[in-house]
Amino acid sequence: MNTQRLLHIIDGISTWFGKAAAWLIIGLMLLVCAEVFKRYILNMPTAWIFDASNMLYGTLFMIAGAYTLAQNAHVRGDFLYSSMRPRTQASLDLVLYIIFFLPGIAALAYAGWDYASQSYSINEHSNVTADGPPVYHFKFMIPLAGALLLLQGAAEIMRCVICLKTGVWPSRLKDVNEIDVVEEQLAHSEYVDDESRKEAIAHAANIEESARQRGMGGDLQR
Amino acid sequence: MSDPALGLLMLGLIVVVIMMGFPTAFTLMGLGMFFGFFAYYRGGEAWADNHIFDLMVQRTYGAMTNDVLISIPLFVLMGYVMERGALVDKMFYSIQLAFRRVPASLAVATLIVCTFWGIASGLVGAVVVLMGVIAFNPMLKAGYDVKLASGVITAGGTLGILIPPSVMIIVYAAVAGQSVVKLYAAAMFPGFFLAFLYLVYIIGWALINPKIAPKLPESETRVPVRPWVSELQQAYSRKMLPALFGALLAPAKAMNISVDGARIGYTMLLKNFGFALVPLVLTLATLWATWWYVVIHQQPDIPTPPAASIQHKVDDAPQPLGAGAASQPAEEKLEELGGGRSGAATRSEPETLQQMGSAELREQIKAAPSDAGPPPEFYTYFAFVAGIFGLVLLYYYWTMEAEQFEVLRLLISSVMPLGILTAVVLAVILLGITTATESAAVGAAGAFLLAFQARTLDWKRTKEAVFLTAKTTSMVCWLFVGSALFSAVFAILGGQALLESWVLSLNMTPVQFMILSQAIIFILGWPLEWTEIIVIFVPIFLPMLKHFGIDPILWGVLVFVNLQAAFLSPPVAMSAFYLKGVAPKHVTLNQIFSGMMPYMFIVIICMVLMYIWPGMTLWLPNYLYGN
Repeated sequence: MNTQRLLHIIDGISTWFGKAAAWLIIGLMLLVCAEVFKRYILNMPTAWIFDASNMLYGTLFMIAGAYTLAQNAHVRGDFLYSSMRPRTQASLDLVLYIIFFLPGIAALAYAGWDYASQSYSINEHSNVTADGPPVYHFKFMIPLAGALLLLQGAAEIMRCVICLKTGVWPSRLKDVNEIDVVEEQLAHSEYVDDESRKEAIAHAANIEESARQRGMGGDLQR
Repeated sequence: MSDPALGLLMLGLIVVVIMMGFPTAFTLMGLGMFFGFFAYYRGGEAWADNHIFDLMVQRTYGAMTNDVLISIPLFVLMGYVMERGALVDKMFYSIQLAFRRVPASLAVATLIVCTFWGIASGLVGAVVVLMGVIAFNPMLKAGYDVKLASGVITAGGTLGILIPPSVMIIVYAAVAGQSVVKLYAAAMFPGFFLAFLYLVYIIGWALINPKIAPKLPESETRVPVRPWVSELQQAYSRKMLPALFGALLAPAKAMNISVDGARIGYTMLLKNFGFALVPLVLTLATLWATWWYVVIHQQPDIPTPPAASIQHKVDDAPQPLGAGAASQPAEEKLEELGGGRSGAATRSEPETLQQMGSAELREQIKAAPSDAGPPPEFYTYFAFVAGIFGLVLLYYYWTMEAEQFEVLRLLISSVMPLGILTAVVLAVILLGITTATESAAVGAAGAFLLAFQARTLDWKRTKEAVFLTAKTTSMVCWLFVGSALFSAVFAILGGQALLESWVLSLNMTPVQFMILSQAIIFILGWPLEWTEIIVIFVPIFLPMLKHFGIDPILWGVLVFVNLQAAFLSPPVAMSAFYLKGVAPKHVTLNQIFSGMMPYMFIVIICMVLMYIWPGMTLWLPNYLYGN
């Protein structure tokens, strides 16, 4: 399964960037907390905090876009989609990836590159405060996010093709899910009897899947 | 094809393509790109020079620097950390013990846990599955009606998206250009009112027909009393407060009682005395906070330049200039970045707020009192409420014996940390002390501290919370990027104007428009998720609200409540499927759906009440931030 390995390598790249960006939230939290302390308790606000927190937040969600796509976590109207057979899903997805996703994201990467390099060439600084920090590196996140998404999009298109050939969705890298909290909570529970606890933990992922019926393939390494 | 027609085609296409199940954010971007390319197309221009690229990147950068959306990752992080840090089953157990004498106590406890959980996190699926394991099976074992049991879990589970701090409200605020703080304040009462209506329905039904919720057997409701507590009672007094107090004053007898082979220490007595005092302390803190906010906080501390206050009150003419200047400085400097919406902080009488729409409201506002102090009635009310609290506390301590004390201890260890954190976060936002972003950051840090203190958070869970936050934030914000491009192109093509003029040509009354818009959103709520509805379809209605004189805040809160009903309507409600996944085999989907139906009607009743009596929604934001 060479294509499968290639898919996982691309997923891995997106996931690495996404998870690296995810940690910015801790930085954002600490930064804003420190600012709250300084502003309300010491009464000495800092001017560049506004720009800095925007940059942390913007970078976080832009770079995590490809990671989210790699985990199939972008919201989709799965009302009809979920009840289709994998081949139908794959053919719809394939067409829409090519006519909507690729031009849209390619345009974003292309326009973003222009936008950011212009900003770099004029050494643009933020104008929120008189002496704002430089913003061009922040603007370079747009083409970077676009490039990552294009790469991940290519992987998704490959997935569609494989699914069209074999009739099953190729696997994705395993990652934390919202439903995992069930396991976390029940593992420590003192008042739920063992049997129903084990059953719920074992089935939590299936419950999620059958509720959403997303049908984008089982998780790898489970 | 004319441009506006292209716009409508675009709107039609988006509905079709969303239903095909492609990730919505990219659908919006793709469609916006193509139609925008046409809209900007000029003959003889190289395709790469088309202005759509500029629009796209500008809109993306706009979402990256959006100062409303920035609080989303922080609130989401807070939710995920709390969700992993707090122990739901302990919470459920102690609340169920506390309500053991109430009819349908398990259902009531389920609803309360769901409401609490809704405050902490906004996820529907996980709550329903968890409560399905923790509460559904015990309810069925106790002989509860399947419909009652399944209804309360599904309805309680969806409350999470409504009760602040909810991500949905932030997204609406960003879309509608309203202040997050005002929307939080507005969603406050309807959210809890809805939970209250559910509660009334459950208890009422259980009183009318006790068979559907049989009382638990004595063995299940007995509170386990630790042996040393009963020995302490024997040594001093039946009543726990005097007993503990006595033990502190004369510890000789208490020191003879042994726990697990070791003797009781003085610190342990002190700690337990502290537990017993918690209700008193909480009551005093609440009363003091109210007093501080109304009497002390509102006093002028910095003179505001008159120019600023004029700007705020261009349209409430009759107010003397000095009054506004005196009463608003504190709020003004701290208000949300949403713009000069907070207005004058002068309070108006509740009864004047009962009309719909701010236009009517503004006419009826009485001239503000010229001093900044609270109205004289406040002191009477305050004394009255304090007196009632005092009596309740007295009764509580008078009847507190070992069982009550043990319940209290369980409640304190399971519910209180989460409760206090959320109360503080919400209070800090609502009272305008910090902005929503700042409270969210402090709340997230607080959630981390609580979880560390309860030793429920390890490295693995921290990582999970961080990664989940990134995924959820990215999902919501990319959708926002897509829709920002889409709606800009839609407006450029003239689709929005065409739609508006068409709706206006129907000559609807505001009530008709309200019902029509809510009905459309209700129907959209079946196949779609709230993110798509709020980000794509709500902006189409927003510009029309002004024509009909409908307050966008009231309309927004109605939309939030409406989505609750949509998510509870068979046969598309996702929570039913989640519950089915954990339910025993004999429970069918149809039973769950029929259990949900009454709650759907309760939500609709709640919407009607909110419409008839907009004061419920608008009183708090108007009280806190003026008009």
